[in-house]
Amino acid sequence: MSIVPPAPGLRTRPVTRFEPPSLRNIRPLRELARLTQFLDLLKTLSIHRIKVRYKRSRLGILWALLHPLSMMLVFALMFSFIRGAPAQEVPYAVFAYAGLLLWSAFSSGLSSAASALTSHADLVTKVAFPREILPLTYVVAALTDLAIASTALVAMMFWFHVPLTITALWSVIAVALLALFLVAAGLIVSAFQVRHRDVGLAMPVVLQMWMFATPVLYPLSAARRGLPSALYALYIANPMAGIVDAFRRAVVLDQHPDSAALAVSALVILVLLPASFIYFKHAERTMADVV
Amino acid sequence: MTPIDVRIERLGKQYRLGVRRNAGSFWALKEVTFDVPRGASVGVIGRNGAGKSTLLKVLAGITAPTSGSVTIDGRLASLIEVGSGFHPELTGRENVFLSAAILGMRRHEIAAKLPAIVEFAGVERFIDTPVRWYSSGMYVRLGFSIAAHLEPDVLLVDEVLAVGDAEFQVKCLTRIRDLKRQGITTIFISHDLTAVEQLCDTAVLLDKGEVMMIGEPAHVVSEYHRRITTAATEAADFASVAREGVLRITGLTFGGDASGLRALSARTGDPLVVSVRYTATRQLDRVVFEITYYSSDGKTIIATARTDEGGGVSVVPPGGVIEFVSDPFPLKRGAYYVGVVVREAVTRHVIDWWDGGTNLFVEAGTEVIGQFYMPHTWRVTHAGEKTPSLPRVIPNAR
Repeated sequence: MSIVPPAPGLRTRPVTRFEPPSLRNIRPLRELARLTQFLDLLKTLSIHRIKVRYKRSRLGILWALLHPLSMMLVFALMFSFIRGAPAQEVPYAVFAYAGLLLWSAFSSGLSSAASALTSHADLVTKVAFPREILPLTYVVAALTDLAIASTALVAMMFWFHVPLTITALWSVIAVALLALFLVAAGLIVSAFQVRHRDVGLAMPVVLQMWMFATPVLYPLSAARRGLPSALYALYIANPMAGIVDAFRRAVVLDQHPDSAALAVSALVILVLLPASFIYFKHAERTMADVV
Repeated sequence: MTPIDVRIERLGKQYRLGVRRNAGSFWALKEVTFDVPRGASVGVIGRNGAGKSTLLKVLAGITAPTSGSVTIDGRLASLIEVGSGFHPELTGRENVFLSAAILGMRRHEIAAKLPAIVEFAGVERFIDTPVRWYSSGMYVRLGFSIAAHLEPDVLLVDEVLAVGDAEFQVKCLTRIRDLKRQGITTIFISHDLTAVEQLCDTAVLLDKGEVMMIGEPAHVVSEYHRRITTAATEAADFASVAREGVLRITGLTFGGDASGLRALSARTGDPLVVSVRYTATRQLDRVVFEITYYSSDGKTIIATARTDEGGGVSVVPPGGVIEFVSDPFPLKRGAYYVGVVVREAVTRHVIDWWDGGTNLFVEAGTEVIGQFYMPHTWRVTHAGEKTPSLPRVIPNAR
């Protein structure tokens, strides 16, 4: 067995330089180029992530459906008892499920991405690879769950005779923004968790409060009506507000998104995404020492 | 001029002790500077805690330096703790894909090399079995095999030669030699000094994070020996003993040569005389002289010889020589490191010791299969004959 020696000149020899960490010598584009070389790893690890998650459970992939479905049932039952569900255009079950679908993709994606690095300490301390791949695999897994859980939404809409129209295409933009926001938030939270383990502990509480600050169980219009305008501006600075609302309007309400809210979401995400990547790459340089 | 593949310039790495900011810190690497030209192989040796692993982690890009810089020209692959990316639930095949992808291989590259990887590791029959059922040997072999099939320009090797059985180690060494022949630059970080001497053109000695010596592997290895002897003695129970000066060891020689050479060679199966010279200022009774042979890394005691029969010996001023005769000398080919201790027979109190970093190089003599030469005699009895008495002289194959 032998390996053909690399002919000089035929193969490019990358030059790598390791220097003390400093925000100045981070080259985001070069790091992105390196990440693309590892796309196979991202794919392999993501598939592995999804497989392992459901391999040893009896209900398997159904769990992706059960989480938003059970929450939907709780809230639908609650509002059927206390009357006055906060939305009337479509059955509340469909309304709530459309919101919970996106929200549970976000919350499960973010909370699992938070521990992506700390739970792979052996890899982080022994192998050099773009570590952002670890949180990214959880984002991919969360989006896969979202795709699976969407089938239940379509089934419910069919059952309740809610029409699915061309307007639903806006959901593509909403899901794309969700993916980008999840990436940004996942990068920040996972890198922060390496040095501050409180993140993992705070995560359930934060996500719980965050959900109520997002139009998941009620329409965005209710928040606009109920909040003073200064507070409302703060409210829609939460990118999830524009995303969840746009998705639900497009898919179940046959309405165009609230353009102001969606634009704010997009803007926040566009600023956050490069910042989070630079922060992550900076933290990455020494995370093997502390993880 | 040969291009430099790895350039290490005034490299420093500081670690914090503990999580709190004021917990203090230490430098695991200080001002480390050396170059590795293309195609060269450099061995980095040093004690535990000398900074070897930290150096490897910085070179591999696992962690960033605190000061200085490292420049690597070419694609780098590291064999650090092989198999660390394995997932027990996945099969051998799935793990090959996962682990190789982590090391930076593309899926199609891995697919093309899978047969070679599996064959090299010798796990063909178990490749579709989850690795949790693998023996630790199989696990490590598969891990090494993956890494050994990367096609790097620069290869970092860390202690992997210490894994697997003898047969697999030979395979690994052959593989590394092949890679070397193809012009790949290699850096070894190892405790295995023999491997460093065999495989490297240059050796670097690290101690407490600093480069102590760079040069010919044989020279650097003996400097390393000299240092660990001193250190071993410092660390051992003699540390607290005050030398009273009543009895002093002044020299240790091997063979009949009294010239006081510090290192001399012996031959397995031949007789060997070890002479310990001493001076004494007054008479001491019940004294025990002990000679200890350590392994070349100074970690393991291989054998001892001592004058404890009959409750020790007596020494009188001005001194003399104690000769230890080993006939035949049983240690097999290799480098050993020898120390002498003088104790009081009853209290075991240490009176003096010799830690001059004495190396003993044992050359191949009588063939040894196993750990040492077993002195033996034999006789043959044919049915109906009278049993002959055992010969007194020990037959020597040479």
